[in-house]
Amino acid sequence: MGIYPKSLEKLIKQFSRLPGIGQKSATRVALYVLRSNREMAESLAKSLIEVKEKIKFCSTCFNLTDDDPCPICSDENRSNGTICVVEGPGDQLAIEEAGIFKGRYHVLHGVLSPLNGIGPEDLKIGELLVRLSKEGIKEVILATNPTTEGEATAFFLAKLLSEKDGKLKIARIALGVPMGGDLKYMDRMTLEHALGSRRLINQ
Amino acid sequence: MRPLNNEDVEVPKSILNRQLNLLSYEGLQNYLMNSHISPAIIMRINEFGESDLLVTFFTSDRGRLKGVAKGGRKSQKRFANCLDLFCLTSLEYELKRKGDLHFLHSCKLINGFPGLRSDFSSLSMASYMIELSEILFPLGVVDKKMFELLEHSFYALNHGARNDALRIFFEAKAMSLGGYRIDLNKCCICGRDYAGEGRAVFRPSKGSICCLKCGEESATSPGLSPESIEMLGLMQSGQWGTVEELSFSNEMIQDIKPVLKLHMEYRIGRRLKTAEYLE
Repeated sequence: MGIYPKSLEKLIKQFSRLPGIGQKSATRVALYVLRSNREMAESLAKSLIEVKEKIKFCSTCFNLTDDDPCPICSDENRSNGTICVVEGPGDQLAIEEAGIFKGRYHVLHGVLSPLNGIGPEDLKIGELLVRLSKEGIKEVILATNPTTEGEATAFFLAKLLSEKDGKLKIARIALGVPMGGDLKYMDRMTLEHALGSRRLINQ
Repeated sequence: MRPLNNEDVEVPKSILNRQLNLLSYEGLQNYLMNSHISPAIIMRINEFGESDLLVTFFTSDRGRLKGVAKGGRKSQKRFANCLDLFCLTSLEYELKRKGDLHFLHSCKLINGFPGLRSDFSSLSMASYMIELSEILFPLGVVDKKMFELLEHSFYALNHGARNDALRIFFEAKAMSLGGYRIDLNKCCICGRDYAGEGRAVFRPSKGSICCLKCGEESATSPGLSPESIEMLGLMQSGQWGTVEELSFSNEMIQDIKPVLKLHMEYRIGRRLKTAEYLE
Protein backbone atom coordinates (compact mmCIF):
# COMPACT_ATOMS: atom_id res chain seq x y z
CA MET A 1 0.00 0.00 0.00
CA GLY A 2 1.33 3.44 -0.95
CA ILE A 3 1.76 6.40 1.40
CA TYR A 4 -0.68 8.58 -0.61
CA PRO A 5 -4.40 7.98 -1.23
CA LYS A 6 -5.11 5.76 -4.23
CA SER A 7 -6.35 8.52 -6.57
CA LEU A 8 -3.28 10.67 -5.83
CA GLU A 9 -0.96 7.69 -6.34
CA LYS A 10 -2.65 7.17 -9.71
CA LEU A 11 -2.06 10.80 -10.73
CA ILE A 12 1.61 10.62 -9.65
CA LYS A 13 2.02 7.46 -11.71
CA GLN A 14 0.50 9.16 -14.77
CA PHE A 15 2.74 12.25 -14.42
CA SER A 16 5.86 10.13 -13.95
CA ARG A 17 5.22 8.54 -17.36
CA LEU A 18 5.90 11.90 -19.03
CA PRO A 19 9.41 12.43 -20.48
CA GLY A 20 11.86 14.15 -18.13
CA ILE A 21 9.57 13.75 -15.10
CA GLY A 22 10.71 11.36 -12.40
CA GLN A 23 8.88 10.12 -9.31
CA LYS A 24 9.75 13.19 -7.20
CA SER A 25 8.79 15.75 -9.85
CA ALA A 26 5.58 13.83 -10.53
CA THR A 27 4.70 13.94 -6.81
CA ARG A 28 5.39 17.70 -6.69
CA VAL A 29 3.21 18.38 -9.74
CA ALA A 30 0.41 16.12 -8.45
CA LEU A 31 0.43 17.87 -5.05
CA TYR A 32 0.34 21.25 -6.81
CA VAL A 33 -2.70 20.15 -8.82
CA LEU A 34 -4.34 18.95 -5.60
CA ARG A 35 -3.70 22.27 -3.83
CA SER A 36 -4.90 24.43 -6.72
CA ASN A 37 -8.56 25.33 -7.25
CA ARG A 38 -11.04 23.18 -9.15
CA GLU A 39 -11.06 25.45 -12.24
CA MET A 40 -7.36 24.99 -12.74
CA ALA A 41 -7.63 21.19 -12.63
CA GLU A 42 -10.63 21.21 -14.95
CA SER A 43 -8.90 23.48 -17.43
CA LEU A 44 -5.80 21.21 -17.39
CA ALA A 45 -7.90 18.09 -18.02
CA LYS A 46 -9.85 19.88 -20.77
CA SER A 47 -6.64 21.04 -22.47
CA LEU A 48 -5.23 17.50 -22.44
CA ILE A 49 -8.33 16.08 -24.12
CA GLU A 50 -8.56 19.00 -26.55
CA VAL A 51 -4.96 18.61 -27.68
CA LYS A 52 -5.60 14.92 -28.44
CA GLU A 53 -8.85 15.64 -30.26
CA LYS A 54 -8.02 18.77 -32.22
CA ILE A 55 -4.31 18.65 -33.09
CA LYS A 56 -3.57 16.91 -36.37
CA PHE A 57 -1.00 17.00 -39.15
CA CYS A 58 -1.29 19.67 -41.83
CA SER A 59 -2.01 17.80 -45.07
CA THR A 60 0.54 19.97 -46.92
CA CYS A 61 3.58 20.44 -44.69
CA PHE A 62 2.84 17.79 -42.00
CA ASN A 63 3.34 20.23 -39.17
CA LEU A 64 1.10 20.01 -36.10
CA THR A 65 -1.95 22.21 -36.46
CA ASP A 66 -5.53 22.92 -35.31
CA ASP A 67 -6.74 23.74 -38.82
CA ASP A 68 -5.90 22.07 -42.09
CA PRO A 69 -4.04 23.61 -43.92
CA CYS A 70 -1.94 25.15 -41.15
CA PRO A 71 -1.60 28.98 -40.80
CA ILE A 72 1.81 28.93 -42.56
CA CYS A 73 0.59 26.94 -45.55
CA SER A 74 -2.51 29.11 -45.89
CA ASP A 75 -0.60 32.40 -45.54
CA GLU A 76 -0.63 34.03 -48.98
CA ASN A 77 2.06 36.56 -48.06
CA ARG A 78 4.75 33.88 -47.81
CA SER A 79 7.02 33.06 -50.73
CA ASN A 80 5.94 29.98 -52.65
CA GLY A 81 9.12 28.90 -54.42
CA THR A 82 11.18 27.82 -51.40
CA ILE A 83 10.70 24.91 -49.00
CA CYS A 84 12.66 24.45 -45.81
CA VAL A 85 12.84 20.76 -44.83
CA VAL A 86 13.08 20.12 -41.08
CA GLU A 87 13.18 17.01 -38.88
CA GLY A 88 10.29 17.79 -36.53
CA PRO A 89 7.73 20.40 -35.47
CA GLY A 90 10.17 21.74 -32.82
CA ASP A 91 12.75 22.60 -35.49
CA GLN A 92 10.16 24.40 -37.59
CA LEU A 93 9.11 26.39 -34.53
CA ALA A 94 12.75 27.41 -33.84
CA ILE A 95 13.22 28.75 -37.40
CA GLU A 96 9.82 30.43 -37.32
CA GLU A 97 10.63 32.15 -34.01
CA ALA A 98 13.80 33.58 -35.55
CA GLY A 99 11.50 35.30 -38.08
CA ILE A 100 14.03 35.26 -40.92
CA PHE A 101 12.55 32.66 -43.25
CA LYS A 102 9.45 33.60 -45.20
CA GLY A 103 9.00 30.51 -47.37
CA ARG A 104 7.18 27.23 -46.80
CA TYR A 105 8.12 24.26 -44.61
CA HIS A 106 8.06 20.50 -44.86
CA VAL A 107 8.30 18.37 -41.70
CA LEU A 108 9.89 14.93 -42.18
CA HIS A 109 8.94 13.59 -38.73
CA GLY A 110 12.31 12.02 -38.04
CA VAL A 111 15.60 11.18 -39.70
CA LEU A 112 16.98 8.08 -41.35
CA SER A 113 18.11 5.79 -38.57
CA PRO A 114 18.70 2.11 -39.45
CA LEU A 115 19.66 1.37 -35.83
CA ASN A 116 16.19 2.47 -34.72
CA GLY A 117 14.46 0.84 -37.68
CA ILE A 118 13.66 4.11 -39.48
CA GLY A 119 14.08 3.98 -43.25
CA PRO A 120 13.09 6.36 -46.09
CA GLU A 121 9.54 4.94 -46.23
CA ASP A 122 8.97 5.93 -42.58
CA LEU A 123 9.54 9.64 -43.28
CA LYS A 124 7.42 12.12 -45.22
CA ILE A 125 9.74 11.97 -48.23
CA GLY A 126 7.21 10.80 -50.82
CA GLU A 127 4.96 13.71 -49.86
CA LEU A 128 7.87 16.15 -50.36
CA LEU A 129 8.45 14.83 -53.88
CA VAL A 130 4.76 15.34 -54.68
CA ARG A 131 4.94 18.94 -53.45
CA LEU A 132 7.91 19.72 -55.72
CA SER A 133 5.93 19.39 -58.92
CA LYS A 134 2.58 20.44 -57.47
CA GLU A 135 3.76 23.75 -55.97
CA GLY A 136 6.44 24.67 -58.53
CA ILE A 137 9.29 24.67 -56.01
CA LYS A 138 12.54 26.34 -57.15
CA GLU A 139 14.68 25.88 -54.03
CA VAL A 140 14.83 23.34 -51.19
CA ILE A 141 16.72 24.18 -47.99
CA LEU A 142 17.74 21.05 -46.07
CA ALA A 143 17.66 22.05 -42.40
CA THR A 144 18.08 18.67 -40.69
CA ASN A 145 20.31 18.69 -37.61
CA PRO A 146 24.08 18.31 -38.16
CA THR A 147 24.18 14.88 -36.49
CA THR A 148 25.33 11.70 -38.25
CA GLU A 149 21.73 10.69 -39.01
CA GLY A 150 20.62 14.24 -39.86
CA GLU A 151 23.52 14.69 -42.29
CA ALA A 152 22.88 11.30 -43.91
CA THR A 153 19.21 12.26 -44.34
CA ALA A 154 20.20 15.57 -45.95
CA PHE A 155 22.58 13.83 -48.39
CA PHE A 156 19.95 11.20 -49.17
CA LEU A 157 17.34 13.88 -49.89
CA ALA A 158 19.77 15.96 -51.95
CA LYS A 159 20.49 12.96 -54.19
CA LEU A 160 16.83 12.04 -54.52
CA LEU A 161 15.70 15.60 -55.26
CA SER A 162 18.41 16.27 -57.84
CA GLU A 163 17.53 13.01 -59.60
CA LYS A 164 13.89 14.11 -59.75
CA ASP A 165 14.56 17.67 -60.90
CA GLY A 166 18.02 18.59 -62.18
CA LYS A 167 17.23 22.33 -62.21
CA LEU A 168 16.14 22.46 -58.56
CA LYS A 169 18.35 24.53 -56.22
CA ILE A 170 19.23 22.39 -53.19
CA ALA A 171 20.88 24.12 -50.21
CA ARG A 172 22.15 22.88 -46.85
CA ILE A 173 22.12 25.12 -43.78
CA ALA A 174 25.62 26.34 -42.84
CA LEU A 175 27.68 24.55 -40.18
CA GLY A 176 30.43 26.05 -38.07
CA VAL A 177 31.30 27.92 -34.89
CA PRO A 178 28.13 28.87 -32.98
CA MET A 179 27.42 32.35 -31.56
CA GLY A 180 29.14 32.66 -28.18
CA GLY A 181 31.25 29.59 -28.93
CA ASP A 182 34.94 29.24 -28.15
CA LEU A 183 37.39 28.17 -30.86
CA LYS A 184 39.53 26.39 -28.24
CA TYR A 185 36.76 23.87 -27.68
CA MET A 186 35.88 23.30 -31.31
CA ASP A 187 36.64 19.96 -32.93
CA ARG A 188 38.41 19.43 -36.25
CA MET A 189 35.21 18.77 -38.19
CA THR A 190 33.46 21.94 -37.02
CA LEU A 191 36.51 24.08 -37.81
CA GLU A 192 36.78 22.39 -41.21
CA HIS A 193 33.15 23.29 -41.94
CA ALA A 194 33.58 26.83 -40.58
CA LEU A 195 36.65 27.53 -42.73
CA GLY A 196 35.19 25.75 -45.74
CA SER A 197 32.06 27.90 -45.72
CA ARG A 198 33.82 31.21 -44.81
CA ARG A 199 32.59 34.40 -46.47
CA LEU A 200 34.25 37.66 -47.40
CA ILE A 201 33.25 40.62 -45.21
CA ASN A 202 34.98 43.47 -47.08
CA GLN A 203 32.83 43.25 -50.21
CA MET B 1 46.54 2.26 -40.18
CA ARG B 2 48.03 1.71 -36.72
CA PRO B 3 45.43 0.85 -34.09
CA LEU B 4 44.90 3.44 -31.38
CA ASN B 5 46.38 2.80 -27.94
CA ASN B 6 45.59 4.31 -24.59
CA GLU B 7 48.96 6.08 -24.64
CA ASP B 8 47.90 7.98 -27.77
CA VAL B 9 45.12 9.71 -25.93
CA GLU B 10 46.05 12.91 -24.15
CA VAL B 11 44.44 13.74 -20.81
CA PRO B 12 42.43 16.93 -21.32
CA LYS B 13 44.47 19.01 -18.82
CA SER B 14 42.08 21.94 -18.58
CA ILE B 15 39.30 19.62 -17.53
CA LEU B 16 41.51 17.68 -15.17
CA ASN B 17 42.85 20.82 -13.43
CA ARG B 18 39.42 22.35 -13.10
CA GLN B 19 38.00 19.21 -11.57
CA LEU B 20 40.96 18.61 -9.26
CA ASN B 21 40.72 22.11 -7.80
CA LEU B 22 37.14 21.53 -6.90
CA LEU B 23 37.73 18.30 -5.06
CA SER B 24 38.74 17.57 -1.51
CA TYR B 25 41.67 15.23 -0.72
CA GLU B 26 39.31 12.27 -0.40
CA GLY B 27 37.50 13.37 -3.51
CA LEU B 28 40.82 13.68 -5.34
CA GLN B 29 41.82 10.14 -4.37
CA ASN B 30 38.43 8.83 -5.37
CA TYR B 31 38.58 10.74 -8.66
CA LEU B 32 42.02 9.42 -9.59
CA MET B 33 41.02 5.88 -8.70
CA ASN B 34 37.76 5.87 -10.61
CA SER B 35 38.34 8.19 -13.54
CA HIS B 36 39.41 6.53 -16.75
CA ILE B 37 40.20 7.69 -20.30
CA SER B 38 39.70 5.36 -23.24
CA PRO B 39 39.44 5.65 -26.97
CA ALA B 40 35.78 4.86 -27.61
CA ILE B 41 33.40 4.46 -30.53
CA ILE B 42 29.94 5.90 -29.90
CA MET B 43 27.35 3.22 -30.63
CA ARG B 44 24.04 4.67 -29.53
CA ILE B 45 22.77 7.98 -28.14
CA ASN B 46 19.42 8.52 -26.46
CA GLU B 47 17.98 11.62 -24.86
CA PHE B 48 17.83 11.27 -21.09
CA GLY B 49 15.84 13.77 -19.07
CA GLU B 50 15.93 17.50 -19.79
CA SER B 51 19.50 17.93 -21.05
CA ASP B 52 21.34 14.64 -20.46
CA LEU B 53 22.32 11.91 -22.88
CA LEU B 54 22.41 8.17 -22.39
CA VAL B 55 25.40 6.95 -24.38
CA THR B 56 26.45 3.42 -25.35
CA PHE B 57 30.12 3.22 -26.37
CA PHE B 58 32.69 0.59 -27.22
CA THR B 59 36.11 0.96 -25.62
CA SER B 60 39.31 -0.89 -26.43
CA ASP B 61 40.05 -1.81 -22.82
CA ARG B 62 36.66 -2.26 -21.15
CA GLY B 63 34.41 -3.41 -23.96
CA ARG B 64 30.93 -2.07 -24.48
CA LEU B 65 29.71 0.31 -21.76
CA LYS B 66 26.78 2.60 -21.04
CA GLY B 67 27.04 6.02 -19.46
CA VAL B 68 25.22 9.26 -18.72
CA ALA B 69 26.58 12.54 -20.07
CA LYS B 70 25.13 15.15 -17.70
CA GLY B 71 24.23 18.25 -19.70
CA GLY B 72 25.42 16.47 -22.86
CA ARG B 73 22.76 18.05 -25.06
CA LYS B 74 23.67 21.61 -24.12
CA SER B 75 27.39 21.38 -23.34
CA GLN B 76 29.63 23.53 -25.53
CA LYS B 77 32.86 22.56 -23.81
CA ARG B 78 32.87 19.11 -22.23
CA PHE B 79 30.99 17.33 -25.00
CA ALA B 80 31.20 19.85 -27.86
CA ASN B 81 30.34 18.10 -31.13
CA CYS B 82 31.85 14.75 -30.17
CA LEU B 83 28.93 12.77 -28.77
CA ASP B 84 27.58 11.76 -32.13
CA LEU B 85 26.86 8.35 -33.59
CA PHE B 86 29.89 6.34 -34.86
CA CYS B 87 32.44 8.99 -33.77
CA LEU B 88 35.82 7.84 -32.48
CA THR B 89 36.50 9.82 -29.34
CA SER B 90 38.77 10.04 -26.36
CA LEU B 91 36.25 9.58 -23.57
CA GLU B 92 36.84 10.38 -19.93
CA TYR B 93 34.44 8.54 -17.65
CA GLU B 94 34.02 7.47 -14.07
CA LEU B 95 34.03 3.76 -13.39
CA LYS B 96 31.01 2.51 -11.51
CA ARG B 97 31.36 -0.18 -8.92
CA LYS B 98 27.66 -0.95 -8.87
CA GLY B 99 25.24 -1.08 -11.77
CA ASP B 100 25.81 -0.65 -15.49
CA LEU B 101 25.67 3.11 -15.86
CA HIS B 102 28.94 5.09 -15.91
CA PHE B 103 29.29 8.84 -15.49
CA LEU B 104 30.83 10.61 -18.49
CA HIS B 105 33.09 13.57 -17.62
CA SER B 106 34.24 14.85 -20.99
CA CYS B 107 34.99 13.83 -24.50
CA LYS B 108 37.35 14.81 -27.31
CA LEU B 109 36.80 14.01 -30.97
CA ILE B 110 39.48 11.88 -32.66
CA ASN B 111 37.66 11.08 -35.90
CA GLY B 112 34.08 11.91 -36.91
CA PHE B 113 34.20 9.66 -40.03
CA PRO B 114 32.41 12.19 -42.29
CA GLY B 115 32.17 9.58 -45.06
CA LEU B 116 29.72 7.58 -42.94
CA ARG B 117 27.16 10.37 -43.09
CA SER B 118 27.53 11.19 -46.76
CA ASP B 119 25.16 8.49 -47.99
CA PHE B 120 22.48 6.17 -46.70
CA SER B 121 24.31 2.95 -47.66
CA SER B 122 27.34 3.90 -45.52
CA LEU B 123 25.06 4.85 -42.62
CA SER B 124 23.25 1.52 -42.95
CA MET B 125 26.52 -0.43 -43.13
CA ALA B 126 27.91 1.29 -40.02
CA SER B 127 24.61 0.65 -38.20
CA TYR B 128 24.77 -3.01 -39.23
CA MET B 129 28.29 -3.31 -37.82
CA ILE B 130 27.19 -1.72 -34.55
CA GLU B 131 24.15 -4.02 -34.23
CA LEU B 132 26.26 -7.13 -34.84
CA SER B 133 28.87 -5.95 -32.30
CA GLU B 134 26.13 -5.36 -29.73
CA ILE B 135 24.80 -8.89 -30.18
CA LEU B 136 28.20 -10.60 -30.08
CA PHE B 137 29.64 -8.53 -27.25
CA PRO B 138 27.32 -7.89 -24.28
CA LEU B 139 28.02 -5.03 -21.85
CA GLY B 140 31.45 -5.25 -20.25
CA VAL B 141 32.87 -8.06 -22.41
CA VAL B 142 36.38 -6.88 -23.33
CA ASP B 143 37.88 -7.58 -26.75
CA LYS B 144 40.52 -5.21 -28.06
CA LYS B 145 40.51 -6.92 -31.46
CA MET B 146 36.79 -6.23 -31.85
CA PHE B 147 37.41 -2.55 -31.12
CA GLU B 148 40.18 -2.54 -33.73
CA LEU B 149 37.93 -4.29 -36.23
CA LEU B 150 35.20 -1.67 -35.76
CA GLU B 151 37.73 1.16 -35.99
CA HIS B 152 39.39 -0.26 -39.14
CA SER B 153 36.01 -0.93 -40.74
CA PHE B 154 34.85 2.64 -40.09
CA TYR B 155 38.11 3.98 -41.56
CA ALA B 156 37.60 1.77 -44.65
CA LEU B 157 33.96 2.84 -44.99
CA ASN B 158 34.99 6.48 -44.58
CA HIS B 159 37.49 6.09 -47.43
CA GLY B 160 34.92 4.51 -49.75
CA ALA B 161 35.76 0.78 -49.49
CA ARG B 162 33.51 -1.62 -51.42
CA ASN B 163 30.46 -2.21 -49.24
CA ASP B 164 29.91 -5.87 -50.22
CA ALA B 165 33.57 -6.83 -49.59
CA LEU B 166 33.67 -4.89 -46.33
CA ARG B 167 30.44 -6.52 -45.18
CA ILE B 168 31.65 -10.13 -45.55
CA PHE B 169 35.04 -9.15 -44.11
CA PHE B 170 33.40 -7.67 -41.02
CA GLU B 171 30.89 -10.51 -40.61
CA ALA B 172 33.55 -13.24 -40.87
CA LYS B 173 35.91 -11.52 -38.43
CA ALA B 174 33.26 -10.45 -35.93
CA MET B 175 31.67 -13.92 -35.83
CA SER B 176 35.11 -15.44 -35.37
CA LEU B 177 35.92 -13.05 -32.52
CA GLY B 178 32.53 -13.73 -30.97
CA GLY B 179 33.37 -17.46 -30.85
CA TYR B 180 31.40 -18.58 -33.92
CA ARG B 181 34.19 -19.39 -36.36
CA ILE B 182 33.22 -21.68 -39.27
CA ASP B 183 35.29 -24.89 -39.25
CA LEU B 184 36.91 -25.11 -42.68
CA ASN B 185 39.49 -27.80 -41.89
CA LYS B 186 37.53 -31.03 -42.26
CA CYS B 187 34.22 -32.52 -43.38
CA CYS B 188 31.75 -32.35 -40.50
CA ILE B 189 30.18 -35.71 -41.51
CA CYS B 190 32.94 -38.12 -42.60
CA GLY B 191 35.70 -36.29 -40.73
CA ARG B 192 38.08 -36.28 -43.72
CA ASP B 193 40.52 -33.35 -43.84
CA TYR B 194 39.76 -30.71 -46.47
CA ALA B 195 42.84 -30.55 -48.70
CA GLY B 196 41.88 -27.34 -50.49
CA GLU B 197 40.68 -29.10 -53.65
CA GLY B 198 37.15 -29.16 -55.04
CA ARG B 199 33.97 -27.50 -53.87
CA ALA B 200 32.53 -28.05 -50.41
CA VAL B 201 29.09 -27.50 -48.89
CA PHE B 202 28.35 -25.35 -45.84
CA ARG B 203 26.18 -26.87 -43.08
CA PRO B 204 24.67 -24.10 -40.86
CA SER B 205 23.63 -26.50 -38.06
CA LYS B 206 27.21 -27.81 -37.73
CA GLY B 207 28.93 -24.46 -38.33
CA SER B 208 31.25 -26.34 -40.65
CA ILE B 209 31.78 -27.54 -44.22
CA CYS B 210 31.21 -31.03 -45.61
CA CYS B 211 32.55 -32.70 -48.76
CA LEU B 212 30.39 -33.26 -51.86
CA LYS B 213 30.27 -37.00 -51.09
CA CYS B 214 28.45 -36.29 -47.82
CA GLY B 215 26.20 -33.42 -48.89
CA GLU B 216 24.65 -31.63 -51.85
CA GLU B 217 24.57 -27.92 -52.64
CA SER B 218 21.18 -26.29 -52.04
CA ALA B 219 19.72 -22.96 -50.93
CA THR B 220 19.98 -24.03 -47.30
CA SER B 221 23.45 -25.60 -47.78
CA PRO B 222 25.30 -23.30 -50.20
CA GLY B 223 28.51 -24.43 -51.87
CA LEU B 224 31.95 -22.84 -51.65
CA SER B 225 34.81 -22.90 -54.14
CA PRO B 226 38.36 -23.71 -52.90
CA GLU B 227 39.32 -20.03 -53.41
CA SER B 228 36.34 -18.85 -51.35
CA ILE B 229 37.18 -21.33 -48.57
CA GLU B 230 40.75 -20.08 -48.53
CA MET B 231 39.57 -16.45 -48.38
CA LEU B 232 37.09 -17.21 -45.61
CA GLY B 233 39.85 -18.97 -43.69
CA LEU B 234 42.12 -15.94 -44.11
CA MET B 235 39.44 -13.58 -42.85
CA GLN B 236 38.73 -15.78 -39.84
CA SER B 237 42.39 -16.39 -39.02
CA GLY B 238 44.47 -14.51 -36.50
CA GLN B 239 46.26 -12.51 -39.21
CA TRP B 240 44.30 -9.38 -38.53
CA GLY B 241 44.74 -7.49 -41.77
CA THR B 242 42.46 -4.83 -43.15
CA VAL B 243 39.96 -5.23 -45.97
CA GLU B 244 42.29 -3.37 -48.34
CA GLU B 245 44.96 -6.06 -47.94
CA LEU B 246 42.69 -8.76 -49.36
CA SER B 247 41.62 -8.97 -52.99
CA PHE B 248 38.08 -10.20 -53.38
CA SER B 249 36.70 -11.35 -56.70
CA ASN B 250 32.97 -10.99 -57.38
CA GLU B 251 32.63 -14.80 -57.44
CA MET B 252 34.16 -15.06 -53.97
CA ILE B 253 31.77 -12.45 -52.60
CA GLN B 254 28.78 -14.23 -54.19
CA ASP B 255 30.00 -17.54 -52.70
CA ILE B 256 30.74 -16.32 -49.17
CA LYS B 257 27.79 -13.94 -48.71
CA PRO B 258 25.00 -16.59 -48.42
CA VAL B 259 27.21 -18.78 -46.24
CA LEU B 260 27.77 -16.01 -43.71
CA LYS B 261 24.09 -14.98 -43.87
CA LEU B 262 22.94 -18.51 -42.99
CA HIS B 263 25.67 -18.94 -40.39
CA MET B 264 24.73 -15.69 -38.63
CA GLU B 265 21.00 -16.34 -38.74
CA TYR B 266 21.49 -19.81 -37.29
CA ARG B 267 23.88 -18.74 -34.49
CA ILE B 268 22.14 -15.46 -33.58
CA GLY B 269 18.66 -16.92 -34.03
CA ARG B 270 17.28 -14.08 -36.14
CA ARG B 271 18.07 -11.70 -38.96
CA LEU B 272 19.65 -8.39 -37.96
CA LYS B 273 17.18 -5.46 -38.05
CA THR B 274 19.59 -3.21 -39.93
CA ALA B 275 20.20 -5.86 -42.63
CA GLU B 276 17.05 -4.85 -44.51
CA TYR B 277 18.58 -1.44 -45.29
CA LEU B 278 21.65 -3.03 -46.89
CA GLU B 279 19.74 -4.82 -49.65
